[in-house]
Amino acid sequence: KMAAGSSGAPGAPCRHHAQLGACESRAKYREGWRPRAVKVYTINLESRYLLIQGVPALGVMKELVEQFALYGAIEEYHALDEYPAEQFTEVYLIKFKKLQCARVAKKKMDERSFFGSLLHVCYAPEFETVQETREKLQDRRKYIAKATNQRDCFMLKKVEGPKKSASKNPEQDCPWSTSGSHIASNWDPSCFTSSPGVSHNMAYPSGNQDESLLTSPHYDNNCAEVPGYFGQNTSLTPSVHPGGHTPPACLMQQRMVPAYNGIDRFMPRTTHLQERKRKREEGNKFSLIGTSEDNTEVVIGPQLPEIPKVDMDDESLNTSATLIRNKLKEVADSVSTSVEKPESSSAKPLVKQRRRI
Amino acid sequence: MELGRLEYLQALVTEFQVTDSTGNKRRRSLALPVSSISSRTRSFSLAEAKEQVLANLANFAYDPSNYEYLRQLQVLDLFLDMLTEDNESLVEFAMGGLCNLCLDKTNKEYILEANGVEPIINCLSSSNEETVVSAVTTLMFLTTPRSRAQTTALPVVECMLRFSLSANRRLSNLASIFLQDYCTPPQLEEARNLSKHTAVGIPLPKD
Repeated sequence: KMAAGSSGAPGAPCRHHAQLGACESRAKYREGWRPRAVKVYTINLESRYLLIQGVPALGVMKELVEQFALYGAIEEYHALDEYPAEQFTEVYLIKFKKLQCARVAKKKMDERSFFGSLLHVCYAPEFETVQETREKLQDRRKYIAKATNQRDCFMLKKVEGPKKSASKNPEQDCPWSTSGSHIASNWDPSCFTSSPGVSHNMAYPSGNQDESLLTSPHYDNNCAEVPGYFGQNTSLTPSVHPGGHTPPACLMQQRMVPAYNGIDRFMPRTTHLQERKRKREEGNKFSLIGTSEDNTEVVIGPQLPEIPKVDMDDESLNTSATLIRNKLKEVADSVSTSVEKPESSSAKPLVKQRRRI
Repeated sequence: MELGRLEYLQALVTEFQVTDSTGNKRRRSLALPVSSISSRTRSFSLAEAKEQVLANLANFAYDPSNYEYLRQLQVLDLFLDMLTEDNESLVEFAMGGLCNLCLDKTNKEYILEANGVEPIINCLSSSNEETVVSAVTTLMFLTTPRSRAQTTALPVVECMLRFSLSANRRLSNLASIFLQDYCTPPQLEEARNLSKHTAVGIPLPKD
């Protein structure tokens, strides 16, 4: 078929695009109804991006896209003029919103006749940005955790928001960032310095409200006493319990519940931004992996696939991020700041007001 | 539970297992009893048959509903064993299989207990793109507070630094994620220094 280059750069022919010959030597009991090549599919190979070869050069892009759109929302599509194509055929790239849709579309459309020509559809992961790849891996984590009903402490990204695990929102994947281990090791109120992002970290597990969130017995006890800590809307977050020893996680747990009660899909995003802002301001003093020896209840695993930088590697996200940041600033400025404390203060718990968008 | 699925998986693995004369099950390897292979129109090699079965198992490993079965049939061990085979395809498929199933907590612990990290790190030097890419992802998935000393050891980080500069987008993306999300700044610094010295090639003074 096609000469398969091994550069792996987007737009260049890759080995994984090559159509392998069907396997003819399969044992009978393993034979499906269609001849299949020997290939292993991993999350690295799968992608929201599909490469479609063999499209007849008849100006049928519109029809092609319509056909594929039957399998799910398409985010982007265009012809790949530089890609080697057989005579009289064209090559297209189609980007689906969801991996699952791409998977189905590939399965259904591969080897399908289209305007008299056989289409060859394959995944094109080399078109992904770093962030897209990151999200892909995160989604896979979430999926496994959900499917196996596990709350693996090592995987901090199980926030699911409105129960839609397929969502591609990067913010959903929790900004449980670097401060995680800091929290884990010092159970002191000053760890409240961070934004809600931190709290997410503590109350780690999945977004299912009814699951008991944490292993430590602590968490269940004092929660009832905590007042509507994180109010519904624009109320400022009250300062931490003067007692100071209130298990931080408890408050956060309380906080978690309203979060996942509904509309607050934007919350993680705010959290994300505030978290990054906080980190920027405080410098990189937190190391993500840490002192798990001190605290075995909450195990902080590998640094989360969250973006430590402000640049989210994606224009539209950056735009949104900037808009939200500005809005937050606007709101923050207009609200009375009786509770707000300078970040440098480490003696008292720092409280950031949060505004739900 | 679907018996059909279990039987199918069992048949697959049976193609691999061999019982030696003393009645002991041989360590999982891909030795195929000829009788299990149906004859086809063209001749095929034993190697091809092994590859097919392994690929099949690796694809099964993508679906969490199969994990219990796969564990029962000791397929995890099979995958780990195959990592040291000479046949490049076998290594590629086995590495893919591990990549597919290592996120499950039980599987993860099993692999770590079985010292699986080492052969996986070795796969980073393979010339097979899929093998390397699967290995990078698997190392990320296997990273836990306890295992990270191994999975993010200096040679590994140094290797990832090189990969992050690769023209191969898939590889560079994954390596970048590894460096950004699984390594601490000091680790990155140490690895960069290591590369720097190597690149310059000037030996340090003897005394």
